[in-house]
Amino acid sequence: MTSPSRGFSRRDMLKAAGLVGLGSTVLPSLSACGVGGGERHPNGASEITGSFDWKKLSGQTVRILQTPHPYQQSFQPLLKEFTELTGIQVVADLVPEGSYFTKLNTELAGGSGSHDVFMVGAYFIWQYGPPGWMEDLKPWIANSAATSDEYDFEDIYEGLRTSTSWDFTPGSPLGTGGQWAIPWGFENNVVAYNKAYFDAKGIKPAEDWGNFQQLARDLTDRNEGRYGVAFRGSKSWATIHPGFITQYSRMGCKDYEVKDGRLVAGMASEQAIEFQKAWVDLAREAGPASWTTYEYPDCTRDLGNGNAMMCYDADSATYPKNKPGASKEAGNLAWYAGPAGPDGSYATNLWTWSLAMNAASKNKLAAWLFIQWATGKEAMSKAVGTAFADPTRKSVFDSTFKQTLGAFPGYLDAFEKVVGSSKIQFTPQTQFFQTTQDWSVALQDIYGGDDAASRLRDYAASAEAKVNV
Amino acid sequence: MSTATAQSSPGGPGPAGPDGPDGSRRRGAPPKVSDRARKLRPYLLSVPALVVVIGILYPFVLGAYYSILNYTASNPEPHVVWFANFASVLKDPQFWASVRVTAIFAVAATVIETVLGVVIALLLNRSSFVGKIFERVLILPLMIAPVIAATIWKLMFNPQFGVLNHVFGLGTFDWLSKDTALASSILVDVWIYTPFVAILVLAGIRSLPREPFEASDVDGAGWWYMFRRLMLPMMWPYILVAVIFRFMDCLKAFDHIFVLTAGGPGLATRTLQIGAYEDSIIFQNFSRGSTYMFLLWILVFITAKYLVGVLGKAQRRAAGAEE
Repeated sequence: MTSPSRGFSRRDMLKAAGLVGLGSTVLPSLSACGVGGGERHPNGASEITGSFDWKKLSGQTVRILQTPHPYQQSFQPLLKEFTELTGIQVVADLVPEGSYFTKLNTELAGGSGSHDVFMVGAYFIWQYGPPGWMEDLKPWIANSAATSDEYDFEDIYEGLRTSTSWDFTPGSPLGTGGQWAIPWGFENNVVAYNKAYFDAKGIKPAEDWGNFQQLARDLTDRNEGRYGVAFRGSKSWATIHPGFITQYSRMGCKDYEVKDGRLVAGMASEQAIEFQKAWVDLAREAGPASWTTYEYPDCTRDLGNGNAMMCYDADSATYPKNKPGASKEAGNLAWYAGPAGPDGSYATNLWTWSLAMNAASKNKLAAWLFIQWATGKEAMSKAVGTAFADPTRKSVFDSTFKQTLGAFPGYLDAFEKVVGSSKIQFTPQTQFFQTTQDWSVALQDIYGGDDAASRLRDYAASAEAKVNV
Repeated sequence: MSTATAQSSPGGPGPAGPDGPDGSRRRGAPPKVSDRARKLRPYLLSVPALVVVIGILYPFVLGAYYSILNYTASNPEPHVVWFANFASVLKDPQFWASVRVTAIFAVAATVIETVLGVVIALLLNRSSFVGKIFERVLILPLMIAPVIAATIWKLMFNPQFGVLNHVFGLGTFDWLSKDTALASSILVDVWIYTPFVAILVLAGIRSLPREPFEASDVDGAGWWYMFRRLMLPMMWPYILVAVIFRFMDCLKAFDHIFVLTAGGPGLATRTLQIGAYEDSIIFQNFSRGSTYMFLLWILVFITAKYLVGVLGKAQRRAAGAEE
């Protein structure tokens, strides 16, 4: 205890310094560090005037954040061509896919603008767009001083253009509002199958859902290490978005419908329950034995190893397994659109890796020139010739891409059959990742023995409460 | 401020005292420091400690601050909601499911690792050629990153081509199903961390004094009696240190469970850490994730305080200071 006669002791001073240090240094800076994501940035397109010139920013540098992926790898050798065209140096930082969105989210939330361009999937726009972290590219496309006459934005498939455009009002359809990213590469979710085995047994791919289930069961022989169909089942939103939501949509089921300005969950409708129960039964009886851990590399590995006879997932995920030497079943695989819905629907969910501009970028024109070049016809045609799957431009698909598909039976037919109805089949809403992961948890619980109807009713009620906050 | 400079006195060593007649400091004498500098010195010496304390406290205070905000990715301009996040989390059945999973995981893994670790340490204490080899092999799991270890085990668990089902003839037994995933996660934790307990306890056993054992041997005590009455009480503080480390670590378990199951199937392996990760990183509800972490911190703090108290008591008992 301090004696009154001693006055202010060293210990008192240290205590006071500690408190003052904490109070004055830490607390006021809390709101400035990490919370708030910084200021909202005005769109930079209107600042660009004059005539279009690729060399306008020669000598500058653009920084891009990417994750290693066939799309990125096919563009990597072409980056020097961008530098030759524009005089702009490209610094490309790669972050593995497992931690990519954590890194991206942290950077965008911090508002530092250290990367000008980043790779992003469509669903992420629903999360990164509302806080103002992404630049609306519509004014850039419309500005002839910033965009080359040859760019031809309309050449990009409509389903892809709309998938990266939204007005951020839950339930409002995609294609409204700003253009938050430009599709760069994409994937349709269709069925890849072991054609060599099918041909040897005289089996034809099943064209409707009932026959598909039966065929998958018939193909399954656990003692032989063979099962009917691989599809994802892990606890993740990514379990819902490929084959599951594709077939769910083909069967006429909805995730949400807008009624009186509210999103009403449709996962517990009679039709939806019946489909989801059938899907889980299919997983149990003709799917991978450890379905609840299965992600896309597990599914494509089993297809390539000859364990899975079919795989309902992204076409570009199964595509590499058919390349010579890439897997045991290389050369034996083929594709088809998968089972149609009762009304003949080939509604298909797509995934698109797109390029977006950081709203906090200090070098927006350079960023836009890079995006414009990478999503342009010339660069995309060259990239398709190496490792690129599913170009986003119709002109590139019709010319270069078709020539690379000779050894991939059915790929072209499947693509052409679904591309007209290929789009994001989810209703856009800002709680997408949580409610969609919860959906995968519900399917896992049903797989584990829960009653499908009551579990899906619980899930639908919980999802509805979350999306309407 | 006057500065003391080390100058050699031209006339060699002079009389005692720091300064020569001309005011210059003599060789070997302490530097001249002003009263002000002397008074300031303790505070300056405290500055690094203060910086470290602030450095440690800053993330903690920031996390606590987040937990009273409504900060999410879709609401980047949050405001203070005080304890609304705590009320929401405490009312959420998923949180209580996570508490249950975390508690079962922590207790089961710690108990199994401790028992196995002590047994292995006792076996390795008998010096032999095989024992020496095992001592070196034992450390291998600890040298593998838990994420890598979990990836290896995930492949071994695979019912399609995994080695376990093949060797034990288990057919398509699913090691990571809703009913088995938690036990399998505990198994992997035991594989990684039992050597840690064994090594810690072995070091403790080897530091025990020989005299009490020699004396009881002379008195004709049996092995079991010596173990129960002598070795175990003296080993107890080392075992408790291992228990504290493992239990605290298990309460915060994340990496290998996430690789194995991502917290599923359903909520079967969703620990509090995985819940916090899901909320903060996947769902980008930063405030709710921070609330999870704050509640986990309270749990760890209370448990640690209790276990450290038990450890102190055990140490005093081992030293004969307390019955």
